Amino acid sequence: MSGSLQLVLSLIVGAAIGVLSYGYRTPRQAALGGALGVLGTGAISAALGFCMYAADAESTEGVLGIALGAAFAWMFGAGTRAVLNRPGEGSGVGGGGFGESQIRTGAYRLGWWWPWLLLSPTLIILVFFLYWPAFQTFRLSTKLTRLGAPRVGERCLANFSELLIPQPVLVATLPLVAVGLIWGIGLWQRRSNPDSVGYSVARILRPLGPLVLLLALYFIFEDVNGGYRRIYLNTVIISVGTVALSMAFGLGLAYLTFRRIRGVTVYRTLLIWPYAVSPPIAGILFFMIFNATGGVVAALSSRWGIDFPDYTQNASLARMTIVLASVWKLLGYNLLFFLAGLQTVPRDQIEAAALDGANAWQRFRTVVLPALGPISFFLLITNLTYSFFDVYGTIDFLTKGAPAGATSVAIYEIIRVGVDNGDLGRGAAQSVVLFLAVIALTAWQFNQSEGRINYGGA
Amino acid sequence: MKRILALLLVLAMLAAACGGSDDSADNATDAGDDTTDTTASTDDTAADSGDESDGDSEAAGDAATIEMWIAFSDDARLGFTRDRAADFNELHPEYNVVVTEFDSYNTVFEQAQLAIEDGNPPEIIHFFEAATQEALDAVDGDGNPIFKSVTEAIGDRTEILGEPVVLGDVVSAATKYYTIDGQLYSMPWNTSSTTMFSNMDILNEAGITEPPATWAEVEAACEAIMALPDAPSEGCITWPNHGWFYEQSLGQMGVDLVNNDNGRSGRATEIFLDSPEAIDYIQWWSDLENSGNYVYTGVQRDWDGTSAAFQAQNVAMLIYSSSDTTALTQAGVDNGFEVKSSFMPYNQDIAYEGNLIGGATLWLANGLSETEEDGALAFLNFFSNPENAAAWHQLTGYIPITNSAVALLEEEGWYNESPNSAVASDQLDAAADTPAATGALVGNFVAIRDVVTAAIEDVLVNDVDVAERMASAQAEAQQQLDDYNELFGE
Repeated sequence: MSGSLQLVLSLIVGAAIGVLSYGYRTPRQAALGGALGVLGTGAISAALGFCMYAADAESTEGVLGIALGAAFAWMFGAGTRAVLNRPGEGSGVGGGGFGESQIRTGAYRLGWWWPWLLLSPTLIILVFFLYWPAFQTFRLSTKLTRLGAPRVGERCLANFSELLIPQPVLVATLPLVAVGLIWGIGLWQRRSNPDSVGYSVARILRPLGPLVLLLALYFIFEDVNGGYRRIYLNTVIISVGTVALSMAFGLGLAYLTFRRIRGVTVYRTLLIWPYAVSPPIAGILFFMIFNATGGVVAALSSRWGIDFPDYTQNASLARMTIVLASVWKLLGYNLLFFLAGLQTVPRDQIEAAALDGANAWQRFRTVVLPALGPISFFLLITNLTYSFFDVYGTIDFLTKGAPAGATSVAIYEIIRVGVDNGDLGRGAAQSVVLFLAVIALTAWQFNQSEGRINYGGA
Repeated sequence: MKRILALLLVLAMLAAACGGSDDSADNATDAGDDTTDTTASTDDTAADSGDESDGDSEAAGDAATIEMWIAFSDDARLGFTRDRAADFNELHPEYNVVVTEFDSYNTVFEQAQLAIEDGNPPEIIHFFEAATQEALDAVDGDGNPIFKSVTEAIGDRTEILGEPVVLGDVVSAATKYYTIDGQLYSMPWNTSSTTMFSNMDILNEAGITEPPATWAEVEAACEAIMALPDAPSEGCITWPNHGWFYEQSLGQMGVDLVNNDNGRSGRATEIFLDSPEAIDYIQWWSDLENSGNYVYTGVQRDWDGTSAAFQAQNVAMLIYSSSDTTALTQAGVDNGFEVKSSFMPYNQDIAYEGNLIGGATLWLANGLSETEEDGALAFLNFFSNPENAAAWHQLTGYIPITNSAVALLEEEGWYNESPNSAVASDQLDAAADTPAATGALVGNFVAIRDVVTAAIEDVLVNDVDVAERMASAQAEAQQQLDDYNELFGE
């Protein structure tokens, strides 16, 4: 397929995505959506100098080019719709927002520039410390560059396509099948009668959707030695393990220490201490405990004649050790927030449930847990951020990615490639992948929790 | 209840603040893994660095500041450098040499490049051997080289500000490695080689009187040692999985790592990671591991873990950097066993060609004023004058870098007193003057070393096929080299 043909295909896909994301209730709206989609695809193609169409369309890079165009088409379409729709109509969690009548009155009559002026200190900081570096990361990710090099190599999307398998058909179809499945199950559930068997089946199948997507991603990452599939797998295992365990234990401990017992404040303070320890120190502590040569556990178990396994020699043990250190580290933080959350649970509701004959578990499940929704959501995001980014220090001291890269997670690989090896372009490309993962997960979280999380108040 | 919650929150914030500061303090102790030399054992109570650098503040009123950035942050080596700077400042009150430490060579290099972009570079920059090509190639925003050749800067002067020039006196092993286009671009400083350290108490018990010299002898010695009733708990022998040891073996077997005479007659464009000799070496290594004789600590570039295993007598032999000769010999004295240093074992089936150096040199920033440049050059020559070079060798185990320092040490009877200290110099002197035994000059070397150690780790831990794994490593490393040459090549 030639470059221009591929451009046309890309624009058609862009137009379709534009229509879907902007809306198609009237022909005019559909036309506008299509135009926005074409504009989005065209804009990103032009920004990259149409380089993705120079690559062979049957390559992974070609598929990525079309996907990138589609993503921008969606952003243009959905973005325009969001801007045109007034706030308050379709806003997500938190809702609220000022009505238009309020904006036109009072202090806001000073002029359109007034709020911007007040916002400017924050905006300036955001632009220089957040948006500009982020933009630079995206720019770098399309290049081959090193510090001190006399020139820069153009890589277009090769830094990304390198991370994926060289079979473009699979790269294109696997995620689409997964997304289709998720959408299909959702549709099935919505369309079927809540009392029917189909509804129950769809409901049971529903959590499988994200799993299929995770699996699809696993198969599209490159598998050859040093490929990204290993990194992906490590990241999923370590972050899922860390988040699930730290939240479960955090809630459990918080529930236990929430009761009135003598000296509870002392216990609580002590329980929060691990949070005071920085991730690398957590690494050192667990190194001291589990090291096979001079570790505490190894010394004790050898005294009892047990041969304590060396965690650096076994992939599962190494991952478990990292998870354990991270969970220990996060526990205090989670405990603190769950305690705060437990104090906001309305006593009268618990009492009412008790009067209705609910036992302790039922009260916990039906009254306490729902009330903890906002806190849990917040903790889920912060814990996920921890296990994606802050875990670096722990890994660096405990395993350095060993054995054979079994604990090298995305952030560890980014620093190894981008900083230690000085390959700024590939490092930036991997940062973008991690960035997209965080965005996608957060969006999914918002989507899942919308309407279900009750922040209280009006 | 609310008050308790507030208290908890305050505690948490305090904790977060402490956590943050812990973090930075901690990073400072993380010595760079890419260094081919390792921190001398931390309990080295060498001369405290102290406050020399600010001791001259009154003299430094209008003195020209010479900034020196080094990658050593341990007390012994940083302290030594600070002391020499203080001596120099006393001799030359018109200068004020200020030493700043960084945690790794990479950090020094990055920071120096950023400082050059800012127009305020340090005068002297410490950089390691594997990145020589990159230091030579690096340019600033205007396309000028960021470093200036010290040979060129010295010219035909025999002394600078009264300090005799010692550049021409540098020992042949270092001169050979660092000479490019007929000149030394940087001033060699810490230079070492790979030597073996044996716990003679264990070897003698197993009926071995001399440390093994070849691969076959290592195997035989290990059989005997591991058959002892009180065999060392972890195994017979260990060494870090660092690319440097692989390169040393190639040098011993006379195999080039890259084309164009190991990158010395022209820019290296092809790499040969999976030569039959290289595969032999890794196969031998892997067999030694499978038979339970070689101990893999499970972590790449694990200088600390391997050294600790030897010092705790959990292994009988350690192949290591000679940079720690003094510390390891002392560790033997402290723990009550005899440590003997010997040449790195070689493949008895292939004629021995030679071992190479490792370590780092001091680079001179480009574009300095004449006063600054002369001050920097005077300090570089003072820093490696016979007395200082000899003292540096005695403190660490890095080879004495000039012939006159060697002569001085011989005169003092140092080598009779501590025979282990002569091994690295002797091994380097025994090397043939060939590209293979000199070592490769190649771009993106740090990343290439990463590819090598990752492949070896895969072999050791997952028992994959050596030839297949090295073939895929070869492709990966060639890609790294091609990328580098795309950016820096002519």
